[in-house]
Amino acid sequence: MVKFTADELRRIMDLKHNIRNMSVIAHVDHGKSTLTDSLVAAAGIIAQEVAGDVRMTDTRADEAERGITIKSTGISLYYEMTEESLKNFKGERQGNEYLINLIDSPGHVDFSSEVTAALRITDGALVVVDCVEGVCVQTETVLRQALGERIRPVLTVNKMDRCFLELQVEGEEAYQTFQRVIENANVIMATYEDPLLGDCQVYPEKGTVAFSAGLHGWAFTLTNFAKMYASKFGVDESKMMERLWGENFFDPATKKWTSKNTGSPSCKRGFVQFCYEPIKQIIKTCMNDEKDKLWPMLTKLGVTMKSEEKDLVGKALMKRVMQTWLPAANALLEMMIFHLPSPAKAQKYRVENLYEGPLDDIYAAAIRSCDPEGPLMLYVSKMIPASDKGRFFAFGRVFSGKVSTGLKVRIMGPNYVPGQKKDLYVKSVQRTVIWMGKRQESVEDVPCGNTVALVGLDQFITKNATLTNEKETDAHPIRAMKFSVSPVVRVAVQCKVASDLPKLVEGLKRLAKSDPMVVCTIEESGEHIIAGAGELHLEICLKDLVDDFMGGAEIIKSDPVVSFRETVLEKSCRTVMSKSPNKHNRLYMEARPLEEGLAEAIDDGRIGPRDDPKVRSKVLSEEFGWDKDLAKKIWCFGPETTGPNMVVDMCKGVQYLNEIKDSVVAGFQWASKEGALAEENMRGICFEVCDVVLHDDAIHRGGGQVIPTARRVIYASQLTAKPRLLEPVYLVEIQAPEQALGGIYGVLNQKRGHVFEEMQRPGTPLYNIKAYLPVIESFGFSTLLRANTSGQAFPQCVFDHWDMMSSDPLEVGSQASTLVAEIRKRKGLKEQMTPLSEFEDKL
Amino acid sequence: MDLASNYEIDRTAQFILNGHFTRVALQFPDELLRDSTRVVRALRDELDDIEIGLFVMADTTFGSCCVDEVGASHVGADCVVHYGHTCLSQTSTLPAFFVFGKAAISVSDCVKSLADCLSTSEEPVLVLYGLEYSHAINHVKEAMEKELSSLRQSKSDLVLYFVDVMCTVMNPSTVDDHPESSGCTGANGTSSNCKRTGSSLDGNKYCIGGLTWDLPDGCKMEDCLIFWIGTENPAFTNILLTYNGSEIVRFDPKENSLAKDFLHHKRVLKRRYYLVEKAKDANIIGILVGTLGVAGYLHMIKQMKDLIAKAGKKSYTLVMGRPNPAKLANFPECNVFIYVSCAQTALLDSKEFLAPVITPFEATLAFSRGSQWTGAYMLEFRNLVASSQEDDSDTEEARFSFLQGGYVEDHDNESKEKPVEDGERSISLVEATQRALQLQDSNPHYIVKGTARSGAEFFNKRSYHGLEMHSEKSVPQPFVIGRTGKASGYQNEKENREIL
Repeated sequence: MVKFTADELRRIMDLKHNIRNMSVIAHVDHGKSTLTDSLVAAAGIIAQEVAGDVRMTDTRADEAERGITIKSTGISLYYEMTEESLKNFKGERQGNEYLINLIDSPGHVDFSSEVTAALRITDGALVVVDCVEGVCVQTETVLRQALGERIRPVLTVNKMDRCFLELQVEGEEAYQTFQRVIENANVIMATYEDPLLGDCQVYPEKGTVAFSAGLHGWAFTLTNFAKMYASKFGVDESKMMERLWGENFFDPATKKWTSKNTGSPSCKRGFVQFCYEPIKQIIKTCMNDEKDKLWPMLTKLGVTMKSEEKDLVGKALMKRVMQTWLPAANALLEMMIFHLPSPAKAQKYRVENLYEGPLDDIYAAAIRSCDPEGPLMLYVSKMIPASDKGRFFAFGRVFSGKVSTGLKVRIMGPNYVPGQKKDLYVKSVQRTVIWMGKRQESVEDVPCGNTVALVGLDQFITKNATLTNEKETDAHPIRAMKFSVSPVVRVAVQCKVASDLPKLVEGLKRLAKSDPMVVCTIEESGEHIIAGAGELHLEICLKDLVDDFMGGAEIIKSDPVVSFRETVLEKSCRTVMSKSPNKHNRLYMEARPLEEGLAEAIDDGRIGPRDDPKVRSKVLSEEFGWDKDLAKKIWCFGPETTGPNMVVDMCKGVQYLNEIKDSVVAGFQWASKEGALAEENMRGICFEVCDVVLHDDAIHRGGGQVIPTARRVIYASQLTAKPRLLEPVYLVEIQAPEQALGGIYGVLNQKRGHVFEEMQRPGTPLYNIKAYLPVIESFGFSTLLRANTSGQAFPQCVFDHWDMMSSDPLEVGSQASTLVAEIRKRKGLKEQMTPLSEFEDKL
Repeated sequence: MDLASNYEIDRTAQFILNGHFTRVALQFPDELLRDSTRVVRALRDELDDIEIGLFVMADTTFGSCCVDEVGASHVGADCVVHYGHTCLSQTSTLPAFFVFGKAAISVSDCVKSLADCLSTSEEPVLVLYGLEYSHAINHVKEAMEKELSSLRQSKSDLVLYFVDVMCTVMNPSTVDDHPESSGCTGANGTSSNCKRTGSSLDGNKYCIGGLTWDLPDGCKMEDCLIFWIGTENPAFTNILLTYNGSEIVRFDPKENSLAKDFLHHKRVLKRRYYLVEKAKDANIIGILVGTLGVAGYLHMIKQMKDLIAKAGKKSYTLVMGRPNPAKLANFPECNVFIYVSCAQTALLDSKEFLAPVITPFEATLAFSRGSQWTGAYMLEFRNLVASSQEDDSDTEEARFSFLQGGYVEDHDNESKEKPVEDGERSISLVEATQRALQLQDSNPHYIVKGTARSGAEFFNKRSYHGLEMHSEKSVPQPFVIGRTGKASGYQNEKENREIL
């Protein structure tokens, strides 16, 4: 009963104005996957009857079990519009057939990297908001991400069924709730507005907001009702739509529209009168099983039921009736087709965000015009495990040109630099595949504007890459994705049987591919580390590793650990000096903390090694109060040459200073990567070179003498400047009813968290709590929270900032010193810190 | 214990007289140097022949466990007598006589510990020992025989093996000789031409650090419990790392105690694994020559060079005696160093080194595609000579780097570039100038991130290139008086200190 075939899909792929690439995004549990089901049902992949229960896009067993989406899943849908319904469509189109490439994404914040990957390859987003819970943390996060990628949003207010069945609210109250939800969403959109994308706020009266009940498979936009009433009132549809929202009231007694409530009992808001009430009535009739009343009403609405459906009762009947009357797919797909851009339209303004190279070269031009005859530009945004274990599909979007089976492509990895051979491979595509729900269909080629899965490239792509034709050697890659979460929680894994190590290595390699965010690395101590965004994310990764990627070998995992940073509190109490091994050279240094916000500015890349020195010194002097000349004397950043620490030259008239600069830089990179306290990265420290005494003979001031000395003097200056540890801190958002608040505060106190905002959601009994929680305390936090609030509170944790631990790690017995000892022990270092006297020399 | 017996004066004299050696180098480690004059005097008395020249050698360039053949040839010696702890690595030019010394041991305590061990262990027990205890091993054996009979009454399936010392006299392996076979004379004087196979399996014969033993068919090293008599020294570390799959206990004769916990060595092994992973990302590799005596070292260096070249990386060979952080930091362009030396000095892991130092075995793992760390480990590089010849299957997959958490391709394309033909000299000149005129990225990424592919490229990217021309200061400068005094404190600095 599949309504369409791969061939049909392939044919529409060429019609670039009739394609819509869109992702479904929302807060966790607002009903994305369920709603997606209704859309898939319309395409005939699953039966209409079970839509809402199958969660077609939750393909993994654990997704179904937990009831949350973990991986984003793509699905291609074919939809044919009637000529009549398209008559109001102003944009370009080629016929009535539409192809909708839909990506369902996870809502839990731990998996928001999946959302990022989904957004990159789509042009529009369906934002789903629970009509009762309203706009939540993750709604805001994903919206911000979407707008950052220049993705145009449309909104659907979901779980309407709760209004009618569970809460049974009155029309006016419901309207107020919806209005508030939409307003909240619009506030966010306005905040992150982008001039090129234009106004992307949503308005029900313009048809960019839908009202849906994903579970029951029905939805409507005001267009639906406007069409119904337009002829009755003898006005055109757009006029009618305006009347159906906002301050427009109708009194059936006087048959007059007013812009104010006249106070007469029969006077009601347009939306309530014409949309809310009829639905409410139908549902009520169905639920009360008043069939004799129901049939005439349906006939009036022009809904015909099949005879066997007429025997249904109660909820099943209601669901069926509503699905027939207001099918979710029609309303939502129409909204997408009307209001979301086609690739041809979207790529015009997205090219600037996407392409790294000059915007006037042929590649940029091809992307801009979505030219199927242009050079191939394809971005692989994620890898999807294939059914044969160990292999992956490279899933991405063709931005220009065509990709076909057997085509030789240039693979530009994330570290590729144009003109160099690093991170570059030329390989041929074994197969091009499109996704149709749980099935994959091979196609000959896929033109631009579409999503595609490629077989045979997985051994050269870790997470993402840009593909182009073999010959296009001057193409620049498409900009790498920026994730809103960072992998701060780490766990060490090792195999139970030592000889299984190759299996573990292979497994980790596959794990690294299967998830856009997870990082698989190795520690200095030789332990394999898996780093993820949160506890849940890690749990899923480990499960994947054991079940799918290890070939049955068992692993042992450590308790989750977090990485710390080392910083200083004050300027060094004195200028410290270290002598080189041959005692002929001396370096004098001081450490001081960087100005507040400077480390973050370096993190964000606003200040970095590649800046123009003039621009840099302007920023530094204006924003951070640096001396203009001093700003020009930054020798380097570190660790990894870009980190949030720096070396500044403060010496005056030192001979041969230029000669040792490279050596000092090398020593600094080394030392800033492994701080003196616990060999954690340094953060926010500025090292000032105060004076340098060098041997006159060049042979005695070589790298061998200076590099180890630079490292020692940096350690000495760190230790004399009141060193402190920085710990990562989560921003936690919790939504819960009032009676759960006590439990929440209790748990937060116990876990060293502190609340900085508590707000009641207007119109709801729910409270919104924002708190800071140290990442190290977050393990087991959500379980404990659920236990203490009888499951009413659900936290969302996102890494927010580094927080200084006030205790002194140099003071024996302090909390920080115990922590340092623990870290050192784990890393296999001497538990005692190396004393200052080892680093500092006396004259 | 008296000098003559401890230093085996009579056997040494016997060896010198039998071999008709006329110039004999006596190599002492630092801790035994104080006895050297007395040993020479005793030997002189014993030899009773003034024609034989005796030379004392000390402060060897590399590890004192190896025979310093270069040092010996400075005095034109025709044989070397080596005193103290040794790794019994094969010499390449000179015959050598080894005096292990005789360390004190309580035989009864040792036997008691061994018996305890034997009665609790399910596995066969293999007794290994430090060479300095080899003099007492026969006593232990005898005492153990008696113990065994009583032990067998309670537990019938007891199996105990003792290992033998390979030799105390070593003849150099000649050039055309197979590097693995050499002439050795057994410890008790019987001449045997044992085949040296090191720790690798050859039938069931095992050989490590001068010890050799056989295991019956079907008995693997992993199934044995290793009982080590001796202190915790490099020889023991070698055993621990090589047989990391076996259970190991150590009887310390100095403390008369049994140690069982060697978690530290598991750590070492893991750390080595990390270094291998790190080495995989290296572009420039320094080969440190850590021996000039151990047979086959030249072959090994060549093999390493070939291996590195094949992996598309650049190598430089450095001879610097025993490495230390300051010496290695003079070569910041090297991302990793391979230390070619005898097994017992091979492990150099100090956090002080700017770049990791790995062994040839680890280098083989790191630089040949498709080879994997399985847990097997070896330190003696002679075993590598044979094992690394296998062709590396050309895997399709790009290399995954765990340090960077993603695929990284090595730059093997570059090395295949053919040199420019002479006929196109005019064009090549143009190309050369073009290259020279290219704008160089002056940021220090190359230096710290190890992305330079050769030493020349590295130097090119440094901010300091040599002489500095201060063009703005073209006018002659007045002369200034420089510093005077000693480096530990110049005169002007002393004044400063006084002010402070």
